[in-house]
Amino acid sequence: MDIASWLVSTVSRALAFGVPLLWGTLGEIYAERAGVVNLGVEGMMILGAFTAFAVTQSTGQPGFGLLCAAAIGGIAALVHAFMTVTLRANQYVSGLALSMFGLGLAGLLGRGWEGKPLGNPLPTLTIPGLSKIPVLGAMLFQDQTILTYLGIFLAFLLWLLLFRTRWGVAIRSVGENPGTADALGINVTLVRYLCVVFGGVLAGVGGGYLSVAYRPSWTEGMTAGMGWIVIALTIFASWDPLQAIWGAFFFGALYHLSYRLQTYLSPELLKLMPYLFAIVVLAASGFGTARHRRRAPGALGVPYVRGER
Amino acid sequence: MKRILSVVLAVVALGALAFSAEKIKAGFIYVGPIGDYGWSHAHDVARRIVDEKFDWLETVYVESVPEGEVETYIDQLVRQGCNVIFTTSFGFMDGTLAAAQRYPNVIFAHASGFKRWANMATYMADFYQVYYLNGLMAGALTKTGKIGYVAAFPIPEVKRHINAFTIGVRTVNPNAEVHVRWIYEWFNPAAAKEATEALIAEGCDVFAFTEDSPTVVQVAAEKGLPSFGHYSPMYDFAPDYVVSGQIVHWEKIYEDFLVKIHEGLYTNKNLAHVDYWWLLAQGAVEVGAKPGMVINPKYEEALKAKKVNVPGLGEVSVYDLVFIRLNQMADPGITYDPFQGPVYDRKGQLVVPEGMWLSYDSLITMEWAVAGVVGPWPGEP
Repeated sequence: MDIASWLVSTVSRALAFGVPLLWGTLGEIYAERAGVVNLGVEGMMILGAFTAFAVTQSTGQPGFGLLCAAAIGGIAALVHAFMTVTLRANQYVSGLALSMFGLGLAGLLGRGWEGKPLGNPLPTLTIPGLSKIPVLGAMLFQDQTILTYLGIFLAFLLWLLLFRTRWGVAIRSVGENPGTADALGINVTLVRYLCVVFGGVLAGVGGGYLSVAYRPSWTEGMTAGMGWIVIALTIFASWDPLQAIWGAFFFGALYHLSYRLQTYLSPELLKLMPYLFAIVVLAASGFGTARHRRRAPGALGVPYVRGER
Repeated sequence: MKRILSVVLAVVALGALAFSAEKIKAGFIYVGPIGDYGWSHAHDVARRIVDEKFDWLETVYVESVPEGEVETYIDQLVRQGCNVIFTTSFGFMDGTLAAAQRYPNVIFAHASGFKRWANMATYMADFYQVYYLNGLMAGALTKTGKIGYVAAFPIPEVKRHINAFTIGVRTVNPNAEVHVRWIYEWFNPAAAKEATEALIAEGCDVFAFTEDSPTVVQVAAEKGLPSFGHYSPMYDFAPDYVVSGQIVHWEKIYEDFLVKIHEGLYTNKNLAHVDYWWLLAQGAVEVGAKPGMVINPKYEEALKAKKVNVPGLGEVSVYDLVFIRLNQMADPGITYDPFQGPVYDRKGQLVVPEGMWLSYDSLITMEWAVAGVVGPWPGEP
């Protein structure tokens, strides 16, 4: 097999598989930067996947389907925000409940929608000019949907917002030390609500991508654990939107290679590779470079009660 | 002798009359969600068919039951008054057996296993003949000589399917290869998609699979490549690209079994040797892109154009060969089997001698890979 074929298939598949992970991770980074862990990503993604499919199938508009998926993801996250920020429930329990609830509800609503192919999925783009570049064109500028490029663009935008604007300072300080942020006049509740809901919106789009672009059909449980990979990638990316880009695409590449390499390596081992890699990186990030940015937000997972420390 | 027989028949008929007034409440236990569009979906379609057909039958089901917890769910169904219980996953086997011993008055049937009891039968609708027929077509349609196969787990059932398919491919195209990728899951659309993409990158141009989603068909169609559906009719997913496929009819088995219980032929005492191994001849499986469509008309011409020389038949088109073999296997007095010797494994060993057929035991414990299979093969002897 020639190198070009390996490069093209690996990079192009890494992008396609990495898209839902990237969107989900960007959203989770924002929620966690504001101090709220949301383990409900799997649930929000599957609700997004179902909504996007049902709406696209009914209206013929994949863009509108994705918009509705975003809205549903946001609404699901709003429930989590209400539970954890307002009622100060345990974030992990509430998130897990959201995941289970989402999977169950989508499965229930999805009866009767399964087994139907989607009439008009989100189109794949062939970028004029750029796609003609040998190798590079096939790698990056063919067979991708708009969400691939939009996701990368969004990552840069979110990085700027988080690290180069006052809003970003507000979000990070709410996640680091809500007491101080509150004393400085930042509305902790509002910031947390906004970030969690925004996280849900992105997870919804990530899920929608699965059912209207990646594999245009609806099947119960079709997210198949992607939401949990997102949780791991968030830590892996050190809560940094730019690192999420290569984290998501690197995971996508490993996932694709675990099938491509089967002729050379044991399939059982390859199947473990992406997950093994995630564990190794998580373990490694526990040691070593204790720069402040590699650390989890100080108040992550802790409900904020004014006047308590 | 004749008299004895008629007495026996009369007794049976009386028994049947006595039982026929009885209502049957059948419980079904599924391992997956009924929305998987694969295995559990197919069982549930069959359940609904028999439920509607007989007014003496009432059915209930539970889905997504973890394999270790089957006994709890059986308890629950028995409490609900089920007198017949179907457990539909290999992993339910031991739990079902334990329950059968605990509830001697309830009739059990377990799909795809091999343990039976006085009140526990086994049943399976197997596809290996159908895979062979699909292989014939795939061999005629490949241009690169590489056919992609996405497989769930390296277990005998799946290996049997791949082998039968490859034998079909090689009958038509002696140099073609079947490239296999394992995804180690029955249901994971993303895994199936990436495995298919990997096969496409390797140059495969026709696709078959054994896993529980229509993913392979969809991905192949996006690239304009033909494929074969599996389990449920998948024609609608890609009307231009689904050539044919495997379709299951569990309802044939459920109907036969339930009617025999209703008539009193099967009781909680006489099931220890009842094992349904139903194939084309019993109508439990069908070859086709969708019911009634053996070959997608879009591919008829290509299959008619490709001629092969088959021992005993002379030169025939692949199109005709498919129907000849189908008739030979669908006829109650089956006159052809894909694993008809001589068959060599890919290491060059003769596994089925000239003129011999494989026994049922050899079929259900198959571990070797037939010549023509390319790729990893965990557990290869």
